[in-house]
Amino acid sequence: MAMIEVSDLRKSFGANEVLKGVSFAVERGEVVVVLGPSGSGKSTLLRCINLLEDWQAGDIRIDGESVGYRVAGGGRRLAWPEAKAAKVREQVGLVFQSFNLFPHRTALANVMMGPLHVRRMGKPRARELAAGLLEKVGLADKADQYPATLSGGQQQRVAIARALAMQPKVMLFDEVTSALDPELVGEVLIVMRRLAEEGMTMIIVTHEIPFARDVSDRIIVVDGGAIVEQGPPAQVLAAPASARLKLFLRRYQGDYLAV
Amino acid sequence: MINVLLTNLPYLLRGALVTLWLALIVVTLGTLLGTGLGILAAGNSRIMRAAITVYIFALRGIPVLVVMFLGYYAFPALGLRVDAYVAVGLAQIVYVGAFTAEIVRSAILSVHPGQVAAAKSLGMRRGTILREVLLPQAARIAIPPLLNNSLTAVKQTSYASIVGAWELTYAAREIVERTLASFQIFLGVMAIYFAICYPLSLLARWYEKRLTVAH
Repeated sequence: MAMIEVSDLRKSFGANEVLKGVSFAVERGEVVVVLGPSGSGKSTLLRCINLLEDWQAGDIRIDGESVGYRVAGGGRRLAWPEAKAAKVREQVGLVFQSFNLFPHRTALANVMMGPLHVRRMGKPRARELAAGLLEKVGLADKADQYPATLSGGQQQRVAIARALAMQPKVMLFDEVTSALDPELVGEVLIVMRRLAEEGMTMIIVTHEIPFARDVSDRIIVVDGGAIVEQGPPAQVLAAPASARLKLFLRRYQGDYLAV
Repeated sequence: MINVLLTNLPYLLRGALVTLWLALIVVTLGTLLGTGLGILAAGNSRIMRAAITVYIFALRGIPVLVVMFLGYYAFPALGLRVDAYVAVGLAQIVYVGAFTAEIVRSAILSVHPGQVAAAKSLGMRRGTILREVLLPQAARIAIPPLLNNSLTAVKQTSYASIVGAWELTYAAREIVERTLASFQIFLGVMAIYFAICYPLSLLARWYEKRLTVAH
């Protein structure tokens, strides 16, 4: 059974349809990279899987369970109550482009937030867990610092540790290196790569092509709200089928004049 | 000349004590009421939001003195007899509550939406998000204007004298009637009000400085 199964997902913001029937599945332990130009609906797709957005049609299954809506009498779709959605989010970690750390809490306290206030873990255990995760992302020495005193790369690694603290079944990464200075990108990608090697199921939206080639089991190319191409990285990146992807690749591989 | 003030100072200070009590009650209850309403006004219930918006806009458009007169005459009109302090206190609590609600509401809404998304993505429930994420961040934004709000509320208690609740300003008017030394007495009253408010001003400054250092 697939860990995540998206079928014919449709999502509009007003009259603007951003997802036009997207279907794909992610197996347990699989690492899928989603490529595509900005505005193609990649972020929205991740936010739907984490139930942060509503959608108009289609089905999302997480670990076999259909999430987000129930169908009432007469085929009417009813959105899940907030508490039920929260239960799903506990199992699906999301890391944001803009980090979104809690600025009023230290790095350690940020990582402890989920275990303390969602898992209802005792403080000593939560502290131990959080300290271990900060160590894992290489930030044991920054535990007592506030986010504002950390670099972008460090903040993003804390954010990854914060999501991992919930021991999620899946991790979603939404352009997590796009807001970083180039020299800080590597330290975040290294952490993600290690996660992938440990067998975490991951969906990664990124523009880092070499990283995608190294780490992913499969690449999905999204354009205009639909999947235009997918396959193993070697195949998709070496011989892109669509003109759109060719152009995209040229630009992200350094040809900044590509039009 | 200053003797008039000195001989009447004990009486004024007794008035000041009443003012202090009245201010404490009005500020505490008004801030509590307003904070509760402000949280609801930033919440999801459309009806709540609409009702509280009406309350806020109505009270913002009415002078506090008029609210107090309304409060004072409303009870007799309903056939109830209440103490002048109660009428005045309730009117001022309602007034302070409206301004507090607006400050708290806008402070909560000014917290970056990414904060709520991050909290939700961890599986936090609504109440937890409010307690652990929104309120601590909103407080940083809201506390300076709330202190300012409290200062205004303290000074507004002087209107109570107009509807016959005895406090500092009322006591001063009594003395003036007796001694005709209006200038000296009100100079003293000014000093007493200032002495009550100054610590609050200092607190606001201190907090402002602390804000720029923390985080």
